[in-house]
Amino acid sequence: MNEPNFNMNRRDQHAAAVTASAATVLSSKSVRAENAAPQLKIIDTNVSLFQWPFRRLPLDETEALVNKLRSLGISEAWAGSFEGILHRDIASVNGRLADACDSYPELVPIGSINPELPGWEDDLDQCVNKHDMPGIRLHPNYHGYTLGDPRFAELLKRATAAGVFVQIATSMEDGRTQHPKLQVPDVDLAPLPEILKGIPEATVQILNYKPRLSLLAKLAKTPGVFFDISRVDGTNGIANLLKTVSADRVMVGTHAPFFIPESVLIRILESNLSEPDLSLLLSENSSKLMKA
Amino acid sequence: MSFATGQLGLPTAQQLKKYRIWDSYFTPSFSHPGQDGSSRLITDIEQTLPTIKLGKIEKLCYFAHVGIGTTTDADLEKLLRTQPEAVAKPLKQWPEMMLGMIQLNANNVRGSLDALNRWLRDGPMLGVYFPGGGPGAMTCTHRNFTPLIERIRQLNGVIMQHTWFKTGGKQGAGESTPSELAELASKFPEQKFLCAHAGGEWERGIRAIKGSPNVLIETSGFDPTAGFIEMAVREIGAERIVFGSHLPSRSLGTELGKVIGADITERDKTFILGENYRKLLQPIL
Repeated sequence: MNEPNFNMNRRDQHAAAVTASAATVLSSKSVRAENAAPQLKIIDTNVSLFQWPFRRLPLDETEALVNKLRSLGISEAWAGSFEGILHRDIASVNGRLADACDSYPELVPIGSINPELPGWEDDLDQCVNKHDMPGIRLHPNYHGYTLGDPRFAELLKRATAAGVFVQIATSMEDGRTQHPKLQVPDVDLAPLPEILKGIPEATVQILNYKPRLSLLAKLAKTPGVFFDISRVDGTNGIANLLKTVSADRVMVGTHAPFFIPESVLIRILESNLSEPDLSLLLSENSSKLMKA
Repeated sequence: MSFATGQLGLPTAQQLKKYRIWDSYFTPSFSHPGQDGSSRLITDIEQTLPTIKLGKIEKLCYFAHVGIGTTTDADLEKLLRTQPEAVAKPLKQWPEMMLGMIQLNANNVRGSLDALNRWLRDGPMLGVYFPGGGPGAMTCTHRNFTPLIERIRQLNGVIMQHTWFKTGGKQGAGESTPSELAELASKFPEQKFLCAHAGGEWERGIRAIKGSPNVLIETSGFDPTAGFIEMAVREIGAERIVFGSHLPSRSLGTELGKVIGADITERDKTFILGENYRKLLQPIL
């Protein structure tokens, strides 16, 4: 998806990207047979546009971020909005996000929804039907509700019925370094397996999660749950994650520009994954999720 | 699958070698080296070797427990006092790769002074680590630090002080902040101090030590938050920044990525990744 196709809508473009992705992965075998470096398609499922509320970031201008992603070989990035964390005019937040993504074929807009706000159903409708977004991103801890809140289940039901996936950002920043006047604990994911039993068609991706083994094992067995690796640290962190979570549920997520995007990519190198696991992680899983 | 470096965010092997990376904060089996004094430590190092090789890290410095009360295991403490060969085993096994410093316990001044003689004066250790947690932790403004710093100064030792500014306050009474380290450092202007983790909350950490020219910051121990290295270079200069890997509990991606991915000059990266630390160690090497 290097050139925009102005005759295709956003979802058509995604479908084309998925096809290109599969072709790239398949063709990499023949490339390797010629003893050349494999060509890897990388999809980043976790970036954010605009300004982090507490400091300027080196890549918080969209063009700078896209140029960095291109330089790292990331050909598609699912972009949420930092504005979606604290702003209450969510319709304009999502409008600006959609406009910004329109200028860069790599960027896929992922709208913010805050079910604490009156009329959130309209925001969801706009994400799906006006902006043609394939997914939405939630910040339950910043927006002040738990996953046990009935509004979360209702939102999940509606998103699923509309055919979009749901990203839950469990954290944005280490609690130890947060602003003292805005301390936000990580989202408690414990209710999620039970809720998903009632919405078996839902697709949920958990972002910025620092795995804790007991809950991770439960989440790993829950159908429809996927993970990113932005906060999976330790030199064996990703390899260890894959001991508990099936490789077809884990995707690249850099949490750029808050995190340095190189960090996650180098971590993947460190993990010395098998070729099938690597292909799943880098793009196959996210391509499948997008296609679904 | 194996990759050539130069892919997935990492510079080429040639470029990495050019940096001559020396790691000031290597933490294999950090809290306990194993019941025999070394086996868990050695295993942890062995398991990290592929990552060390991938990053082309020339040398790494670990922090040894030496039996002066920095662990809660009484049997281990006794063993480390009576079998010093266990303490230095990594240095013997990887003499070209490993550097060592000892963990000091400011709660135990007599024992710490003896350990300084045993391990710095007589070698082969190059400096000390003051922990931020566990039984060896003590806030670095305590008077107990005075005789220890004076002796370390005489021995040309390097000092790594664990520091954090945690939102909500200290997690333990013995923790130190960068501000407290700056206060200590002001009393010993001829001694260099390494401010481990730049205080974690690095925007405050950098500000706290900016006016203390004998304090350098170490880069590891927190998430790869963008802008850290850029601010540090701007505020205190690249010559006061020292790379730490925090391997294996943190990743090469997190820690090397902070420097590799920063918008600074290649010359500054070279300072941070090795040159500054070599300069610091020079008097005792």
